[in-house]
Formats: sequence, structure tokens, C-alpha cells
Amino acid sequence: MIDRTNPVPVQTGSPVFAFTLNGEPVAVTAPPSRRLLDVLRHDLLLTGTKIGCEIGRCGACMVLLDGKPVNACLTMLYQVEGRRVTTIEGIAGGKDALHGVQRAFLEEGGYQCGYCTPGMIVSAAALLAERPDPTDEEIIEALSGNLCRCTGYGGILRAVRRAAAIGREADG
Amino acid sequence: MMLSRETAGGRWRIRPDGPDKVTGRLAYLTDLAAPDMLYGLVLRSPHLHARIRAIRTELAAALPGVHAVLTHRDVPGLNAFGISRQDQPVFCFDLVRYVGDAVAAVAAETIETAERALELIEVEYEPLPVLDTPEKALAEDAPKLHPQGNVMHSNAYKRGDVEAAFAACAHVVEETYSTPRQMHTYMETEGGLFVPEPDGRLTVYAPTQHGLLDRLQLARILAVPEERIRVVSSPIGGSFGGKDELNIQPYGALLALAAGRPVKIHNSRRESVRAGLKRHPMTIAMKTGIDASGRLLAHRVRIVADTGPYATLGAEVLNFAAEHAIGPYRYANVDVESVSVYTNNGMSGEFRGFGGNQAIFALEGQMDRLAELIGMDPWEFRLLNLRRMGDPGPYGQTIAQTDGAYQVWQKLKESALWHQRKIGGRCAGGRDADVRDAGGKGSGERKTAASAAAVPGNSGGNARPPWIRTGIGAALVMHGFGFGVGLPDPAAGRLRLAEDGRIEAVFGYEEFGQGLLATLETLMIETFGFAPDDLRLVIGDTDRVPDSGSSTASRTTAMMWQALRQMERPFRRKLLEAAAGLIGKPVESLALGPGGVMSANGGQRLIRYADIAGKTAEPIAVETHFHFPTSDTDKFGAHFLYSYSAVAVKVEVDELTGRVRVLEQYHAVAAGPVVNPQGYIGQIEGGSGMALGYALMEDAIMENGRYLTGNLDTYLIPTIADLSGSTAVEPIEDLPDGDPYGPRGIGEIGSVGLAPAIAAAVYDATGVRVNRLPINPALLIRKPEELWKAVSGQ
Repeated sequence: MIDRTNPVPVQTGSPVFAFTLNGEPVAVTAPPSRRLLDVLRHDLLLTGTKIGCEIGRCGACMVLLDGKPVNACLTMLYQVEGRRVTTIEGIAGGKDALHGVQRAFLEEGGYQCGYCTPGMIVSAAALLAERPDPTDEEIIEALSGNLCRCTGYGGILRAVRRAAAIGREADG
Repeated sequence: MMLSRETAGGRWRIRPDGPDKVTGRLAYLTDLAAPDMLYGLVLRSPHLHARIRAIRTELAAALPGVHAVLTHRDVPGLNAFGISRQDQPVFCFDLVRYVGDAVAAVAAETIETAERALELIEVEYEPLPVLDTPEKALAEDAPKLHPQGNVMHSNAYKRGDVEAAFAACAHVVEETYSTPRQMHTYMETEGGLFVPEPDGRLTVYAPTQHGLLDRLQLARILAVPEERIRVVSSPIGGSFGGKDELNIQPYGALLALAAGRPVKIHNSRRESVRAGLKRHPMTIAMKTGIDASGRLLAHRVRIVADTGPYATLGAEVLNFAAEHAIGPYRYANVDVESVSVYTNNGMSGEFRGFGGNQAIFALEGQMDRLAELIGMDPWEFRLLNLRRMGDPGPYGQTIAQTDGAYQVWQKLKESALWHQRKIGGRCAGGRDADVRDAGGKGSGERKTAASAAAVPGNSGGNARPPWIRTGIGAALVMHGFGFGVGLPDPAAGRLRLAEDGRIEAVFGYEEFGQGLLATLETLMIETFGFAPDDLRLVIGDTDRVPDSGSSTASRTTAMMWQALRQMERPFRRKLLEAAAGLIGKPVESLALGPGGVMSANGGQRLIRYADIAGKTAEPIAVETHFHFPTSDTDKFGAHFLYSYSAVAVKVEVDELTGRVRVLEQYHAVAAGPVVNPQGYIGQIEGGSGMALGYALMEDAIMENGRYLTGNLDTYLIPTIADLSGSTAVEPIEDLPDGDPYGPRGIGEIGSVGLAPAIAAAVYDATGVRVNRLPINPALLIRKPEELWKAVSGQ
């Protein structure tokens, strides 16, 4: 009855854009200015990327573009041509795998309703990829574009600290 | 002991809904899609107040790709909704009363087509005078927004004789407090999927806080029996009261039935801001007097609330505010009058704290001002007047007795944060000693405390630029939970061994993030000894759940606890008797355990639950129905069960910018045993984050009845940068011997106390008393000459 495997039909006459999505090559036929957010959620039914404000203020739609966090609501399809897009569904790098940040969010309870969580985890993963041992100031800077209304951020801050610690243990 | 992952030990579990949340696998109801799905949009009024002359939909209906265009003419049943009173039209027909009012709705094959169709609907309006303040709406010659007039609800309570008592007071403080139109700002906006089923039923996938009540309201609107509607209502991306009332459900349901196809609606943030509920702005005037020793003698309260165009739970919010404006203090003479007024402003309604946030900000402000007048420490002043175990509730009503008020008072007094306040000396280069009359008007009048004993000031200050000031403040909260006297407040639950061997715990509650599923799992594990894998937690589906009442009013943990307490023995007995019959051992030798029934002494598993399922003549199931405990008073809305909290906060004020930063928080919470430590911390930290926004930045400002904010670029909620200070949460778990009510509600109380505590801390830092939230930074900026004096020491 609920069929989530039936994408919206492609728009005829639109160009094809090829990019890498979560490690797999994809080709999307759509107008060049179509928002990446709509490509992901509507066309490809990857609904882990959330929609909160559509003006780049809440971070619920955060994805990685060549490893850097971007708001999918402010990114147009033509901008991802030939590049690597990583969503929450691909952040761990494998089916059933968990990224260290995801594990830390689970263990610390860095989420409640969970709606901001994919974007939050994407931003945190991008930070730790660049700064494996961040200061609190760096964590705050990296997550200041992601709004959470449930947690008061306490659990999120503890989770990112813990994810960094997990990373240190893995390296040590 | 402070609550944390470390101190919680084995009770700190990964939430059952956690893995799907951190991986993005969890399908929220606004993530759903269906084959042949249409997109629904609602046409809303551009006017604040206008008469509808004509509505023409022919052009919209003729647009290719449009499958339904609906107006008031197309509502088969009751063209109105409202949890408490049904005064909000599904589709307006004679008048529009605010800029979110719905006039028509369309369903089309694409969102773009639906947008185009909305533009083609022609509505002729005749603008009417706008009532954009409660004062205008209460004027004698004001147009009536509803047949009964513009007073949506009023409430009065009196005991003693306040006027005579004021005459006998040594000191009186009179102040008027104003509070903002706070937005819930759940991250997932309203939306859902509406599916007409082949058997003629309708399935509604849309968030709410009480699925069965949505079903009832939709049945009235659609004029179908309730059984023809199934409401699936969890999971939810945040609600905080804001999705308690119907929002897009009537439109989705009507469109889906009219088009005969699934319809999806998902509000943009802009539409959510425009149409959605907000916290009631209130003006609260208080006059409170004490005798020469500091004892409260008289307390007069006048509350005016702006409820906007329709009621929803505005009457109940007002009742709550009136009760909590009396609060946990002793006074012989009390006089509270409150009124909630229809206006053409945005919708006000139910929001975490439910009127308590406004009332406690005012009440705690009075306590601080009175303490200062008489030269007492503000915390000792509260103790002098604080309710004790055995005292009746705010309305003099019978309540379940605990010593919570004193317990949280004591814990805060002992806290490290409050000690900092004592040892912190006043910063050099202090403020002018321009003591103002306590009864004086106007927020932000700068004053310096008369004595260091009364207001220590600049607590815990180190070497800092002289324009950075720190201060510490505190507030105390008594918060009722459940609906209170006079309202149906049912509770129910069901336990069942399912055919596949899973133990089903079935409740009509909703998971909007608070951790209800985790709490239920923990209760099941700790009550029976089941393993997480033995369980199936069933909520949020009207086809499957009993009427457990709503997931509001901080009530669900207490109701689940009480329901399990009632079902524990019979369910255990049924399971053990079934096992005993199957394996031929006496019931007394058996016990429940993870995975199956065990030997009571050896702990060895004797039979799996899966091997009991389906093997008994009678199904193994237990169900309970009961009512939320209420007081024996006839005072409508009075509560019986209360939680208590005390909040201390340290802030830093930059007197060049007027900005306030919260550095450190301490929360003592007396609410009975902690069921779910992770959820408990989350509620207090998360609730106080909302209170920080309420105190320092949040207000959905309306000008001439229109929102000046449309999205999260202008409506600011706290970010991680605003909330990176430390927060300690100290639960007080003990209850009086024989207390039968168990864990108390904590879902709302965390959102109340921090705002008045911040106001007190700002005063401690700067000498500026605020009576309006959010605190206006302009009031905290020191004039250059003052700063020069501070810097140069002259």
C-alpha cells in the first residue's frame, strides 16, 4: 500500500546529470536548477535527508559534497555533476554499518525526535574527517548551522566528543 | 546525585527507535509516498478579518492535473474542529479571522500544478476592522469575532480579602509582566499522507498527540463512523503541543476522499509559521504584599491572554496559568482574575508548559522583588513562604502530598552553582546606587541593589573587561500534570502474548521524540524481566491501541507506570500458568525471564515465549482502563499531581551589546523515581533550551496582525553556540511512604524555570529588572559615560 520504491517519473527533455551518490554512480534526468533536496527526497526516495526550512538555516538537509557539508536545499542539480554526494544513508560506507558518529549518538542519546539527526550526524562526520580531535569551540562552530529543538544540544555535544574519543582509541 | 550516562549505569539503554533515527532509515509520516499520489495545498486568507463575498473555483478545477478543489460547500459533516470547542472552520464560509484561515484546498498531480490552481481560485473579500490586540477586542464597540463575543474564556478565584490585607502589608510590589508569542519550531513541519483504501476506509498518516481524538474529529468532519478511519500518528519529528490540535488533517482527508487517490500534504516552514499554533502572549499584572517579617499576606493577579481567532485549548491554558500564578507559596488572601480574548492575530494554543511558563515568570519575578524590598536573600525569602508537605494545592484543593517544593529548594541551596553566588564579590567599579521604588513602572530601569546582602551581584567574577558582567539567579517551579478536575482524562493499556511469541505492550500514545518507547521498554524489562528482543511496542495506530488518552500534559510516563502496575500480576500469572500447563511444573516454581519462562530458583530457561504462544485455550492478554487521578475539589482544572523543580543559572552580560550568555545551569527536579535516565536528562536539558529561547530571543512578532517572521532566518531558536554551557540535572526520586502514584511528569517542567532564573541572574549581573520576555538587549547596554566610569574607576 505504501510504496516507497516508485520514483517520480523523469521529466522528458531535461538533461542528464551524472554524479556519485553514496559510492554508486547515478544519472538523474531533471532540470539543472532542480534542488538536490528534491532530487534526493522525491526523485530517488532517499528520505533520510530531511526538510526543515528550505533556506539553508536549519541544516536538516545537510549532505556531503566531495566531503564538505552543504545544505541540499541550496544546492542545484547541475552543481553536483561529476562530484561525490554522500547522504546519511551512505555516511557509514556500507549497508548495516555504523559510522563512529552514529554509534556515539546512539550511546550518548544525542537525539530525541531524530528529525535533525541525519543532518547533525553528517555535519559532525565532516568535522571529524577534517579535525579528528576537535576542541569544543570547533564542534560548536561545525554544528552551529544545524538546529535541534528537542535536546538542548547537551547530548549532541557529548556524542561528538565521544565520537572523537572513539576515533582516538581506534587510532591508538 | 547528578544524572548522567555514567551514574545511570545499566539503566542507560540505546533507545529502541535509535538505530533507525541515526541511520536515516526511520520513515517519518511526511517521508511517505504512495503510487498515484497527489499533492495537496491549502488556500489561506490574505486578510486578518474580512467577510467572504464569493468564492469561485471553476478556473482552478479546469486546470489539467487538478483532481479536487474544495471549499466549505464540500464538507459533508461538521465544518468545524477544535479539541475542546469546535469553533474553527475547516473552510471559512462567512468570515475569515486571521491570515492562516483556510478558504479552499486543492489536490493536483504536482506541487507546481497545485500552486497554480491556488492562484486561480477567486475569493472576494470585504475587509472588516482588525482587532490586533486584546484591548481592542475587549472594547465595548468591537466587532464580535464569534457569536458569543470576544471573551473566549475567563476564570476567577478568590480567598480571603486582598484589599484589606494589602492595607496591612509592610511592603507591596506591583508589576506587569509581558510574555512573547513563542513558536514550537518542531523541526518536522505539519504534514502527512492520506490514503483511501479499497475497502472504503481512509488511512491517515499524520502526526498528532492523540490519534483517537483526531479520528473522532475527522469522523465529525467527514460524516463517517470513526471505525471507517484509521489514524497512524507516530513517529513524529517534534511537537511540544503544537501538533495536538488538527492542522492539515481535515484537508488531506477531504481531498483524498474527493479525488479517490492518495494525497500528500507537507507544510512549508512559511505555511507552518502562518497557520500554526504559538504560545499565548500574556500580560500578567501582579500585586503582592508581605508583612514586616517577609511573610506573604496578599496576592492579586490579573491575566490577559491573546488566544487569536479560535479556541483550541486556550481556555485550558488560561486555567493552568491562573492556577500556577498562585504557585507553591502560602498566602491567606488571593484574588486571581484571568481572561483569554479572541483577536485577529495568529493562533495561540497548547505549548509545553501550558500557561505555566508565563505565570511562573511573573510569580518568580514578584518573589525576587519582594525579597529585595525587605533585604532578604531571595532564596531564603522563598523558603519563608514556601508550601510544605501537607499544605493544600494552589486553589486550596486536596493534592497528592510530597515534600517536593522543599526538596528542590534545599538541593538548589546546596548546589555548587548557588555557592558560587555566595563567594562571588561585587566587581570593582560598580554601579550607581540609584535605588528605584519597587512599585515603579517600566522595564529595564537600571538600579543597583541596596545592599550586598540582598543582591550579591557579579557573582563568581574573574578578571574580565569591565563591560562583561556575570550574575547568578534562581527560580522555583510547581507544575501540575494531567488535565485536572472536570476534563475526561482516560488511561488504558494492554499486554498480550502475540502469535509469534512477542510480548506486545500496547498503548494509545505517540512518540514525538520524548523517548516514550524507550520508557515503555524499560518499564517492561524492569517490571517483568523480559529482554528487549521479547517485546513489541505498539503505539500510534488507532486500529490497534486502546484509548490511553493523549500524549500531553506530562502524563504518559505516569499513566504507563500505573497501567503496568495494574496489569503486572494478572499478566504474569497468565503467562506462568500457561507455561506450567505446557511443561508440567507447578506455577510457584516458575518465573518470567529474558526469552522465556525460567525456573524460579535455578534461572534456567524452561520454555520460550514463542512456544507458549498459540498453545493455550484462552489468549494470554490483559487490558486495563482507568482515569487519571484527580482532586476532589470542584474547581475546574485544578490539579492533583505536581512535579517541582528549582533552577539556578549563571549568565554573562555584555554591556556593550546587551547580549546575555548562559554559562551554567543547575536543575533540581522532584518528580518521583527516574524511569528512563536518558529521557529524563533529555527532557530537562531540552526543555530548558526552549526556556532559554523564551528568555533571550524568541518572539514571533506580529504587526497589525501579520507575522513579521516567516521562517528560521528571522525566527531564531537557540543554536549549539547558545547552549554550550554546562547543565547539571539532579533528580530527587523519593516519595512519601505508601505513595501510590509513582513517577511524576517531567515533560514540561524543564521548559518553565530557566526563564525567570535568567531574569534574576541578569538583575544580579546588571541591576536591571526585566518584566518582559524576551529580554531586550537595548535595556542592558550601558551608556558610554557609565562605561567610562566603570573602566576608569572614577
